[in-house]
Amino acid sequence: MSLTELFPNVKLLPRADKLRLIQFLVVELAQEDGISLLTPGAEYPIWTPLNAFGAAETLMKMLENHKAASI
Amino acid sequence: MKPIRLSYNRVEAGQTVASELAYVPITISTVEGSVELQGLLDSGSTVNVLPYTAGLALGFSWEQQTIPIALTGSLSKVPAYGVIVTGKVASFPPVELAFAWTQAANVPLILGQVNFFMKFDVCFFRSQAVFEVKPKARRK
Repeated sequence: MSLTELFPNVKLLPRADKLRLIQFLVVELAQEDGISLLTPGAEYPIWTPLNAFGAAETLMKMLENHKAASI
Repeated sequence: MKPIRLSYNRVEAGQTVASELAYVPITISTVEGSVELQGLLDSGSTVNVLPYTAGLALGFSWEQQTIPIALTGSLSKVPAYGVIVTGKVASFPPVELAFAWTQAANVPLILGQVNFFMKFDVCFFRSQAVFEVKPKARRK
């Protein structure tokens, strides 16, 4: 199917489907170029332990004990 | 003591300037082993995090660990234990660092507030893609 045949059909699509088509093309082009995009619904790890205050307190105590033991 | 000045590094998967992060070469040692790693300077991280494989290379035994550490974020799903090691950056004197040794293997070596940022002064010049590290100033 050529673009000239495709465009009239695309025009008939509802708005939501047009947006899905744009999204499809963006993902398709990015994959061809080897660019990884975020996928809706997928889970991406955040390694940074933000606000891990309990962990910090435990490690600080370990350091204190270690220092005291080595004196 | 004069700081060392290092460039931001581009991570493997990233292809843009935005993917450059501040990694500092650091030698981590215990009585049983030593590893040279690239530590991610992560000022948002409350603690230091040691990847599982690095802990094994340092001679730690997972089964013999006794102090569990509760992490947050994606690492909250994985068990971790507290370990103490010696860390050496460049030609600076070695310091004692406490790490949360996580069972996750695909995590970078994270250098966070407790206690890397308490032992070293770090200055970021992100617009120039460089940063400086030096041991903390001694109190007079």
